[in-house]
Amino acid sequence: MDDQPLLGGALRTRLGRVDGPGGLAGLAGWEAARRLAAEVEGEPRIQRLQTATAFGVYEGLLLGVMQGRRLYRVRPRQLIVATGAFEHPLVFQGNDLPGVFLGTGLQRLITLDGVRPGRAAVVVTNADHGWAVAQDLLAVGVEVAAVAEARPELPPAAEALAAAGVKCFAGATIHDARGRRHVEGALLVRLDAGGDPVAGSERLIACDLIAVSTTPEPAGALLAQADGRLGYDPALDAVVPQALASSVHAAGAVTGLSDLGFALLGGRLAGLEAASALGLGGGEASRMATLRAEVEAHRARLRRGLRVRQLTSVPSVGRKRFVCLCEDVTEKDLADAVREGFDHLETLKRYTTVTMGPCQGKMCHLPAIGVTARLTGRGMAETGTTTARPPVQPVPLGVLAGPHHEPVRRTPLHARHAALGATWMDMGAWKRPLLYTSVEAEVRAVREAVGVIDVSTLGKLEVVGREAAAFLEWIHPGRVADLAVGRIRYRVMCDDAGIILDDGTTARLGEDRFFVTTGTGSLEAVGQWLEWWLAGTGRCVHVADVTSAYAAVNLAGPKCREVLARLTDLDLSPGAFPYMAVREALVGGVPALLLRIGFVGELGYEIHAPAEYGAWLWDLLLDAGREHVIRPFGVEAQRVLRLEKLHLIPGHDTDALSNPLEADMAWAVKLDKPDFIGRRLLEAARARGLRQRLVGFELLDGVVPGEGDAVVADGRPIGRVTSSKWSPTLGRGIGMAWIPPELAQEGVEIRIRSAGRLTRGRVVVRPFYDPDGARLKS
Amino acid sequence: MWQLFRKTPMWRPRPFRDRYDVVIIGGGVHGLATAYYLGRAGVRDVCVLEKSYLGSGASGRNTAIIRSNYRTPEGVSFYDESVKLYERLAADLGYNLLFSQQGHLTLAHTDSAINGLRVRAEVNQLMGVESRLIWPEEIQRLVPALDLSPRPRYPVLAALYHPPGGIIRHDAVVWAYARGADRMGIAIHPFTEAVGIGTSNGQVTSVLTSRGEIRAGVVVNATAGFCSTVAKMVGLHLPIVTHPLQAFVTEPLKPFLDKVIVSATLHVYVSQTDRGELVIGSEIDPYSSYSSRSTLPFLEATAAHTLELFPCLRRVRVLRQWAGICDMTPDYSPILGEVPGLKGFILDVGWGTYGFKAGPVAGKRIAELIATGRTPELIKPFSLTRFYDDTLVGEKAAAAVSH
Ligand SMILES: Cc1cc2nc3c(=O)[nH]c(=O)nc-3n(C[C@H](O)[C@H](O)[C@H](O)COP(=O)(O)OP(=O)(O)OC[C@H]3O[C@@H](n4cnc5c(N)ncnc54)[C@H](O)[C@@H]3O)c2cc1C
Repeated sequence: MDDQPLLGGALRTRLGRVDGPGGLAGLAGWEAARRLAAEVEGEPRIQRLQTATAFGVYEGLLLGVMQGRRLYRVRPRQLIVATGAFEHPLVFQGNDLPGVFLGTGLQRLITLDGVRPGRAAVVVTNADHGWAVAQDLLAVGVEVAAVAEARPELPPAAEALAAAGVKCFAGATIHDARGRRHVEGALLVRLDAGGDPVAGSERLIACDLIAVSTTPEPAGALLAQADGRLGYDPALDAVVPQALASSVHAAGAVTGLSDLGFALLGGRLAGLEAASALGLGGGEASRMATLRAEVEAHRARLRRGLRVRQLTSVPSVGRKRFVCLCEDVTEKDLADAVREGFDHLETLKRYTTVTMGPCQGKMCHLPAIGVTARLTGRGMAETGTTTARPPVQPVPLGVLAGPHHEPVRRTPLHARHAALGATWMDMGAWKRPLLYTSVEAEVRAVREAVGVIDVSTLGKLEVVGREAAAFLEWIHPGRVADLAVGRIRYRVMCDDAGIILDDGTTARLGEDRFFVTTGTGSLEAVGQWLEWWLAGTGRCVHVADVTSAYAAVNLAGPKCREVLARLTDLDLSPGAFPYMAVREALVGGVPALLLRIGFVGELGYEIHAPAEYGAWLWDLLLDAGREHVIRPFGVEAQRVLRLEKLHLIPGHDTDALSNPLEADMAWAVKLDKPDFIGRRLLEAARARGLRQRLVGFELLDGVVPGEGDAVVADGRPIGRVTSSKWSPTLGRGIGMAWIPPELAQEGVEIRIRSAGRLTRGRVVVRPFYDPDGARLKS
Repeated sequence: MWQLFRKTPMWRPRPFRDRYDVVIIGGGVHGLATAYYLGRAGVRDVCVLEKSYLGSGASGRNTAIIRSNYRTPEGVSFYDESVKLYERLAADLGYNLLFSQQGHLTLAHTDSAINGLRVRAEVNQLMGVESRLIWPEEIQRLVPALDLSPRPRYPVLAALYHPPGGIIRHDAVVWAYARGADRMGIAIHPFTEAVGIGTSNGQVTSVLTSRGEIRAGVVVNATAGFCSTVAKMVGLHLPIVTHPLQAFVTEPLKPFLDKVIVSATLHVYVSQTDRGELVIGSEIDPYSSYSSRSTLPFLEATAAHTLELFPCLRRVRVLRQWAGICDMTPDYSPILGEVPGLKGFILDVGWGTYGFKAGPVAGKRIAELIATGRTPELIKPFSLTRFYDDTLVGEKAAAAVSH
């Protein structure tokens, strides 16, 4: 993968002839690049990703790659990084003037864009590459007014330029750029052996272009992110990879040496090593060893030939000596900061924002280190480097986000609700009907005749296996194992701190088979909880999430038995199918599971049938109920109905600190049974007594408070309302609230702060409606 | 760029001595604030040990949200004092902290979230903290760029508006506390790691460091993500699990957002700094780890959630991502005070994802505890013993995403 539209890297931007091997000698750089690219393009087994930026390496060699608006996640088994090198700007007065360029930038303009970048150039360099830049400028008709070479001696490449009449200065560099809105000249100075300017050596050269071409700085950020170690190498005057993680290889200028022959050889070795690590050949050990030796020899040869003079800036003063061009941080800013004690590169960076701009330090990393090293009197190596955080290249949020898909879960009856004009609400990922007509009408239908609600969103788990009963017994604070086949029990589940996680029902379908329902929002948590406690135990228990396999409705109301009787042969008489029993039967010809339970406080049947037949069953039920004016009811009516029965909803009426003893669910906790999850804390909670209690209340004044409103005493919050509704059945506002235990007695008056005003309520501890459950059991 | 006119070092290297009255382990906002307030209380034979550079821990990596709209009365009073200290802090320390009390909005996308926010609004108001539920029309006025249409999967239904909430320049707070402490003669020793703690007869006696041993009768553990490792030096097991927390910034934009926006449903929060960058974060990574390595899935998911709120940011580019580590307690409240049974060992930990805002109040009250020997009322609810007698201060609902 490569971030440019064409393969070939930096070579693609070079006009000069290469002296490389492999039949490339004598070609212009860009021609050689084309030749090499063609070899890759001609190989069908190489997949190419062009204009694609690998912007980060993450844990486990995960690569983030951006190509246009597309994001790729790539997890290679072997990674070869050949990201090349950057030149970095020099720090001199006026280095932000238009007309100051990096040498490589000019080469891109010349070769890729066909632009003649100026009329007369001064080239400032401390590396051989600067001389190639000068050549390229000459080649397109730019006059090269001078080349200032910081190294004490001119390199061999200078000869040709000198012959062409170019003024070449050794041991010299730029002091400042002159010009008002654009470069008009460059003031050059000679450097003494210590790198200081020699007084009186200034020489002003007229030009409209200043080309800065420095020792290449490897683009090693990806290597660092891939757990490689980077450090300053004085021989190269660059931060280079010093150790690579396994499965990671580097080749080319990113290793710190820019040389075509070396890049080709190193690339070959990296490829073969990656291939052999993958067991895909790569040559016998001896051949690899030879190649490795060849690479090392080449490296050593190159290093011997290196003539480096570290150069970031000429010591001087001036207000426009920019170190970080993105963030407008000058050398003076750094000097001030160091004097204020920010002499560590990491604090200096944070204080001045050097390296924190859009280029993330690609341009100013080395100058910042150089200036800091000089200011603090520490060496470059000791000054260190900053962390190379991803992304290496800025990535648009839209690319990272991709087309955003938040799934919507619809029940098998969704279309029916839509046809009835339901008002929707979100419950987790589910869409549920909140209301069809009016809460009053829906509540009255259930209390007086018959209603039906879609409860397909309930979590449904089948727990099967020889040890299923024992497992569920241990998971729950209540009893499960002694449940008879064909019977149901309400269940409350606690975490290991005795906090309520969820509630629902457990139906025993067979000795080894349970049908467990959970709240709509808690299926994932409960499923994971069970798996968590099963993992690695080897218990013979299997948990299957069958939620979407079933459509489920709750048919409730005094007339519901008559309605259901029309659709099934099952004996529905209270004796044959009592409260808290479960039966399997055909309903309207559909195999169904019927649970006789009653969350809303009426005679009721929860009917689970295969999802495919959900809509069919729904139609049959509405049809069968027509005579009794059956009504579908929504979540809002259900919440009112259950509140009239003081049935709490975990997560709504409870929070991360609620235990069942305080939530008035002591019936669900059997401390006399053997160990279970949460036992220790529930025992402790019982021993220390209740600190708060969840109770019902009815309102003495008219206003129904908001859910979440505070219960107050003497202007301080002492509790909170969790549920509160207008009850059409009772003709007054009712609710549930957490209050201090001493107030939790029938009839005690409490004050609720609602919208800034106080409302009076009366504590009620028994269900408002049918407190003995006579209607449920009828 | 900051404080152009003063060029003396913020804190000076001081000789490393072999005894101090108080040793503070951790050179983040908590350790340094404690040092500063100790100095103010007249306790100045103090040193701060930091294993790396100052602010290298969470204090230099957080998203600097400051607010007090918590859920429990104990939490609200505690954080409210910190906000008030922050309001005066720039003046107290003589340093520009760029504290921007721009206002803080916690969005609700579900009816149960609205209820949760209402609980907080009520408790906040009763405790005298400005905080109220507002509805889409007002939200739109405050944050024009926010998508309040029905288009998002979970449209915004309401918000908890907390006008005094805001953001600050975190590094400046750290440095300014360090300077304040330094000016009172307190020694700050960066690049000095505590590697052991000596005790005798239920009393702390010394700290072993990478530069030698220090005798001291009082040792403060203010090491946040590393606090379990320091507690282990005295054989103490803390009810704390360390998790990574990540964040990222975008390239700078013109000012377009002057409120901190938090959405628990979408696990995302966004603010814009004075530099113009958007600072975006989420909740903790779901696994425990001491690694501060950032991840791609976090970046992807958080970018997606950001665009649910602000579709206009599609082309804005992410500049840099990072991670810090957080010392999570079961109830999302800190652990403060002396450890029962170990005289002189003081905890200022359990800061999880929300501790930056508490630097001033915790520093001040821990200093008071050390100076007077009495635990201030304000921090009593946060003692370690609450995990033994089960009196947790449940703030998860108010702190899991909105740090
Ligand atoms: C991404 C992210 C976003 C956050 N956002 C917010 C926010 O918006 N609002 C908010 O209030 N909070 C936020 N937090 C949390 C907040 O940053 C921390 O709770 C707070 O900074 C902790 O401060 P501290 O001084 O206790 O710890 P730290 O700043 O972590 O300092 C502890 C120091 O102890 C040092 N140390 C550790 N072990 C030793 C040892 N053995 N010897 C010597 N030194 C040692 C460490 O190097 C470290 O510097 C966020 C955290 C993160 C990671």
